[in-house]
Amino acid sequence: MNSYEMPLVLFTVLGQSAIGLVAVSAFRQVAGPDAEPGRIRLEWLAAGLVLVAGLIASVFHLGHPAGMVRALSNLGTAWLSREALTIGIFLVLLAAGLILMREKTSPMLAVATAAAGLLVIVTMGMTYSPPSFPAINNALPFVFFCLTALLLGSSAGQVFAVKASQPMLTRILTVTLVVALVIYLLVPCIWLSGGEIMKQTAGQWLASPLYWGRIVIGLVLPLALVKRLKGTPAWLWVLILAGELMGRAVFFAGTVHTAANMGGMY
Amino acid sequence: MTQWKKTDIEQAMDCPMTRRRFMKWMTAAGVTAAMPCGFLVPGKAEAGIVYEGGYETFRNACPRNCYDTCGVVTYVKDGVIKFVEGAPESTFTRGGLCVKGNAYLRKQYSPDRIKYPMVQQGRGSGNWKRISWDEALTRISEKFIEMNEKDGSMLGLAMTKYSGNFGITNYGVEGMFSSLGYTTRMVGTPCWPAGIDAQNYDMGNMWCNDPEDMVKARYVILWGVNPAWCSVHTMKYIYEARQRGAKIVCIDPVLTQTAAKADEYWQINTSEDGALALGMARHILDKGLVDQDWVTQNAVGFDEFAGYLRSEVTVEWASKKSGIPAERITRVAEEFAAADPATIWIGYGMQRHVNGGASVRSIDALVAMTGNVGKPGGGARYGHLQTWGFNYHAMVQQPPEGAKGYLGPAAKGEFDFTEDSKGPAYANRTLNINKTARELLDATDPPVRALWVSCKNPLSQDFDRNLLIEAFKKMEMVVVVDQFFNQTVEQADIVLPVTTLFEEWTVNASYWHYWLSINEQAVKPLYEAKSNIEIAAALSKKMNELKPGSCTFPADIDTKEWMAKEFNKGVYDLFGIDSWEALKNGPKKARTNRLAWGDGKFGTPSGKYEFKSELCAEHGFNALPEYVASRKPYDKLRLLTPHTKFGLHSQFINLDWMEDFNPRPYVYIHPDTARARSIADGDRVRVKNKTGEVLITASLTDNVPPDAIMMYEAWFKNNPYNCQNLVDDTSADMGAYKAGAPGVAIHDQFADLVKA
Amino acid sequence: MKKQLGFLVDADRCIGCFTCAMACKNQYHQENGVIWRQVYPLKEEIYPHKERAFYSLACNHCENPACMNVCPVKAYYKRDEDGLVIHEQDKCIGCGNCIRSCPYGAPQYNPVLKKAEKCSFCHQRIDEGLTPMCVLSCPVDAIGVIDLSTLDTTGLVQYAPGFSRQPVLNPSVRFRLPRLPEVVRRKNI
Repeated sequence: MNSYEMPLVLFTVLGQSAIGLVAVSAFRQVAGPDAEPGRIRLEWLAAGLVLVAGLIASVFHLGHPAGMVRALSNLGTAWLSREALTIGIFLVLLAAGLILMREKTSPMLAVATAAAGLLVIVTMGMTYSPPSFPAINNALPFVFFCLTALLLGSSAGQVFAVKASQPMLTRILTVTLVVALVIYLLVPCIWLSGGEIMKQTAGQWLASPLYWGRIVIGLVLPLALVKRLKGTPAWLWVLILAGELMGRAVFFAGTVHTAANMGGMY
Repeated sequence: MTQWKKTDIEQAMDCPMTRRRFMKWMTAAGVTAAMPCGFLVPGKAEAGIVYEGGYETFRNACPRNCYDTCGVVTYVKDGVIKFVEGAPESTFTRGGLCVKGNAYLRKQYSPDRIKYPMVQQGRGSGNWKRISWDEALTRISEKFIEMNEKDGSMLGLAMTKYSGNFGITNYGVEGMFSSLGYTTRMVGTPCWPAGIDAQNYDMGNMWCNDPEDMVKARYVILWGVNPAWCSVHTMKYIYEARQRGAKIVCIDPVLTQTAAKADEYWQINTSEDGALALGMARHILDKGLVDQDWVTQNAVGFDEFAGYLRSEVTVEWASKKSGIPAERITRVAEEFAAADPATIWIGYGMQRHVNGGASVRSIDALVAMTGNVGKPGGGARYGHLQTWGFNYHAMVQQPPEGAKGYLGPAAKGEFDFTEDSKGPAYANRTLNINKTARELLDATDPPVRALWVSCKNPLSQDFDRNLLIEAFKKMEMVVVVDQFFNQTVEQADIVLPVTTLFEEWTVNASYWHYWLSINEQAVKPLYEAKSNIEIAAALSKKMNELKPGSCTFPADIDTKEWMAKEFNKGVYDLFGIDSWEALKNGPKKARTNRLAWGDGKFGTPSGKYEFKSELCAEHGFNALPEYVASRKPYDKLRLLTPHTKFGLHSQFINLDWMEDFNPRPYVYIHPDTARARSIADGDRVRVKNKTGEVLITASLTDNVPPDAIMMYEAWFKNNPYNCQNLVDDTSADMGAYKAGAPGVAIHDQFADLVKA
Repeated sequence: MKKQLGFLVDADRCIGCFTCAMACKNQYHQENGVIWRQVYPLKEEIYPHKERAFYSLACNHCENPACMNVCPVKAYYKRDEDGLVIHEQDKCIGCGNCIRSCPYGAPQYNPVLKKAEKCSFCHQRIDEGLTPMCVLSCPVDAIGVIDLSTLDTTGLVQYAPGFSRQPVLNPSVRFRLPRLPEVVRRKNI
């Protein structure tokens, strides 16, 4: 068991939620009828605040937050520096959108910002998959982070979407919930047939009440509610957020580091 | 082997242009000043975690009860010790200490260290109050004076002391006691007395070769000894011997770290070492592999021994007793006899049995009959005291005029080199240190009223612990001189803070290697700590203040002078130095006396090696090294409580640095034994026997045999764990002859365990 | 090949005495729980006798170090002259990325300074012509300093069982594997 890394849990979940909000709203502007500036602006403002909240949380992770500005120094090899850069770009575009989207929305800007958000998730995915964690030294973190973005983007997006867009959002949410359920149930099982550290990771995840909490509260329950209510309640995102926070906590605490097995067979 | 060390390390270190040299050059060229942004200045090193250079160095010696007695080089800056290294001049220490020695900084600067004299209001209450030295010594002196008046002697004052600090000036504690009058002394040693006596009966002294000559051995049997843990510096000689073609055999009830490094390991049935040695001897005799020339020239009684072997010993019998297959016994016996030279290192654990002394005699016989005594690379190695010929100036003090004492024989400890005093028949009352609890409770006329403890931790180390607690309750005053609030201090009335090796002047020798080390005062004593002789001087001053003439110990001493006073011509000649100051350049090695019995002149009554020792028979044992039966088990499983690498008795394990590597004690159980009791790895278990019980975590391993369990002797901070709860005070056979009292059958204990 | 210093871990000679681990503490006085050099017992699946064979490991001063690659503030550098990987604690912001990313657990978090730190190969001692403390202190020459560019690798392996295989990082440590004694046990106990 590693530490829960709560600052990073908040940072990643909130950051991905913000990106999800932007991405889903971009999708709505491009693909759907939902292009009302007022609500989009509110949504982007919410995304901005959420992202900033996540960034503030991440500061608590640092031993010396004052040095944070220097975190861009190693773009050459460090995905963490690149993550900082892409977040900066995303924030700039978000800010630009907030300013420009007073009278009308700009689908191009929306898509560009969403793309920037995707880049953030890519860099985050790379940052959190070092070789020291064999179970996630792959595209899984990227996949997990995409799921977080889509889940929160489509469920919290309901708050801002016009009624006409809501079925589309519900469809995105439903599909993502099913995909997430499959992935989160399947991945530990696959790990069980992997190397020693993967197996241990599977063991920790499957034994964690938070893992099961996320499955039930964050995925199964929302899915059932959406089916039952034939739509997404405006407050459903609370359950999903709780689930994502729990799941991210397991991601940090329950994923085993190679150094934990020094002296044993790998 | 270590080819890489010489060439690769030199190559690795050799850098034609180090950054430092580059910088020096650049600075000289005045170039750096001109460069913008300090372009060429090397990256600044880690904040606060550096090796800086520019230290003052001092010489110290580790004074613990350890074969290795390392020479220490102490690096000081601004009056604070920054780190320690081993003395490079000693080929034995060779620049490095051990896990314990490297933790010395934490012992020196531990926040748990006792800073001031303190008085405890209610023993065991933890209600400690700081008092001044003056007040402490006043209380103590008043008690001593009161006792003297009540009993007409100082016999009510008892001292228990042993090996907590082997710096020679620490015998000043004994000196202090002598200077107070005739007192009660706990005499003897729990450590090695049976083996000492055995070697004395066989050869006339305990005397081993220079361990550094082990490289010459062609066959090495490590018998009941675990140097990989208890004498790490000797391992390199064993490895070198193997490199040169020697076979290393390890005999031990437990698969120790040493066993894992041997060529062949025998899991002997505990305490049947005598039978095994005799079995090997019988086979060697049968095969005609005895070194008849050596035996004829240098020994007496071999024919009787041979007769005993032929009539009472067979290889099959030895195999049955020891559990070692017969064909192994015969093969190794032949290999041992054929190797020239061959040597056996007899461990102290091996003789902590009711038949310990007898076993040592049997093993000695094995070495002698194959002609391996008196050879470089050979010998029956146990220990020696060749380099301990100091003046014992601190120890030898006179009783005050008119002092009365005990009218009876007094026993002497093995480190007591003082001459028996000629004069009145008064003497100290000597009690068996190995039965401290019983002796303290039983002593009468007068009873023991006050106990002084220094260089010892009886409530962590001594036996029959529950009884010892009772004995402490009987004491009217308990004074403990120590560094930490250990289990003995917990039951004291007054604790006096004592100096560490870095804070006192003394001199140290080893009972294994032949190096001599000076111990300089590297830093001033922390807070109000005093060395044992400083305490003695201060006590004397106070005693005489309250009752003139009550203590003869000098009240004003210069501890550096007192260290110098331990030296004499004998020591100087042996080490080839003119003055102790020569030791400031590093430890020095004895020039002679390093080949035990090389001249064939044994210290026995006959002047020969005595297979048959009349003296031994006089003392109540067998004249020949005959088999003596082991202790009958009194419970289901044998309990072994040997030493751990992480501590030396109750020292070091309590340090936080050590806790990083050794956080808790375990009981080691064979998986079969555990399964039968439904115990899994990591379970809490209760180990119980007739003496007491211990609650502890289980670790399953087949390093221990199915019929034994093992836990290490240790004192963990804030942990009541103490294996002595389970150890009774049954004596070993020998020890009274040269060490004042028989030893203890520490490893002849038995217990059972259940899941807690 | 350029000079690359590293540690030789001779698990055959090693007696697991922890002298090296404590020698490092003795020199650098790390906070409790911060262990630059750890002595790992080999599990019974690799060496059949419990806690009787060990790998003493600190930092492996890799050719392509994870710590240096992932550090956002470039607080690590690799020395040109000998390949040692040095952490400049002054620059560290305590983000923990190196701590998470090194498969060998070499960088650790100092909770008092709130920064990472790790084995420095005693490079200040090396620069003064001295040996690292662990190497100096080992009583049986079970740790040594090697230069990979000139090393005779006979009998040595890079990835001993129980040591994570990371060819991308290319750790500069080499192992000699421990041998087994011939064990004679009592029968029918």
